[in-house]
Amino acid sequence: MENSSVVIKSLRKTFGSLTAVNDLTLDIASGELFGLLGVNGAGKTTTIKMLSCLTKPDSGEAFLGGKSIITESNEVKRIINLSTQETAVAPKLTVKENLKFMADIYGIDDPKGAVDRVINELSLGSVLDRNAKTLSGGWQRKVSIAMALVTSPRILFLDEPTLGLDVLARRELWNVIKGLKSKMTIILTTHYLDEAEALCDRIAIMTGGCLRAVGTADELKRLAGKDSFEDAFIEIAERSNGKEEAV
Amino acid sequence: MRTIVFSGRNLKELLRDPLSYIFCLGFPIVMLLIMTVVNSSIPPEAGMTVFRIDNLSGGIAVFGLSFVMLFASLLLSQDRTGAFLTRLYASPMKAWEFIGGYYLPVILLSVIQSVITFAASFVIAAAEDVEMNVGRVLLALLSLVPTAVMFIGFGLFFGSVMGSNAAPGLCSIIISAAGMLGGIWMDVESIGGGLKNVCLALPFYHSVRAVRSIMAGSTANLGTDMLIVAAYTIGAVIISIIAFRKNMVKDNR
Repeated sequence: MENSSVVIKSLRKTFGSLTAVNDLTLDIASGELFGLLGVNGAGKTTTIKMLSCLTKPDSGEAFLGGKSIITESNEVKRIINLSTQETAVAPKLTVKENLKFMADIYGIDDPKGAVDRVINELSLGSVLDRNAKTLSGGWQRKVSIAMALVTSPRILFLDEPTLGLDVLARRELWNVIKGLKSKMTIILTTHYLDEAEALCDRIAIMTGGCLRAVGTADELKRLAGKDSFEDAFIEIAERSNGKEEAV
Repeated sequence: MRTIVFSGRNLKELLRDPLSYIFCLGFPIVMLLIMTVVNSSIPPEAGMTVFRIDNLSGGIAVFGLSFVMLFASLLLSQDRTGAFLTRLYASPMKAWEFIGGYYLPVILLSVIQSVITFAASFVIAAAEDVEMNVGRVLLALLSLVPTAVMFIGFGLFFGSVMGSNAAPGLCSIIISAAGMLGGIWMDVESIGGGLKNVCLALPFYHSVRAVRSIMAGSTANLGTDMLIVAAYTIGAVIISIIAFRKNMVKDNR
């Protein structure tokens, strides 16, 4: 893919006898909101950890913004950011201090401007001076995403961003994520089918560490011959036998 | 620069925890006051000088630093337990910037704690009509830096290898050991035997004895005591760095 932001080639990671990610190959276009969808243990988080240089692959390679995650991890780290599935805020710092802290860690030229921009974009004005630990789960997740956005990443990883949130907080976070579309490449992992269908330009279905199919939600439904995305997911996950189904 | 930014964050986290004030700052003062009252109840003919303010201040200063170990371990283990460190591992921060960022604010907290301990000791000494030499106190403060670094090293080591529930428990055991085997509450020299050998094998008694020697204007055993403390300090720093780097990889498996 010519305008690929993320190029993954035969990425593989094992933990003892468990193959967490097996021969993953993918291209993700610049500005695309790409979903990694799968049940628990599908290999989504391990994939994110390898792409964000948190763990080294056993074999294979990936390029983010043209930089290798293996030989140019320092350069990769400058252009990415991630929001993990657990709360990742400094609990006794205020929201504003958390944002400023991240901007300073990444050496952003105008940290105050970057913080103000994110505060406006994510409507954080009402909680700015509150300690992060006093916020609700939904707000903490929103702040966590804001901490990633304040560094203006070219590639943003959102690992299970709505896990454990109530339906209202979840919908609010969806709106935040929709607002980020095409501003940067976003790789989102989720096991919520509706979330993947509602948000993602393309979706990769993973089970057992293997990529089973890639396409838009409609393409995956056609591939599975099902009307609903949930039925399509189950069909693809169950009938695949370790082989990717391209659409 | 990132070390300073990370240190700033860690200092704020420490200073916004009420327990820091209670255990790191308030506790040494309370212990000084209590032990001074105890000392006033000991008849002079008993010849027991452990609780006299010029002896007590050094012991309490060392004992106070052992609590700094607890806070260092809590800070790191809590960062590890949440996903905050994972987020920073994915940033351009280097391992040494993390380690420096954890050490610096806790060293600062240690210095503040020791200064407050000796300042309170001055007030008590004046009230008790015991002379304390300012120059010697400044030297004693300086001699406490390796001990502070040693305790922080142990704290960061436990914070690296244990969770936020287990690390404080083990630190509490070491705090108790430092108090008992450091000669803070008893005269180790007069005990002798196997217990004395244990005290001499560990760094706590040497830290306390070095500070007391300086306060008394004596150089007896000072070189040996400082060398032993320095050796433990270097060991603590090395194992804290190794454990942190090792867990930086392990935590992200």
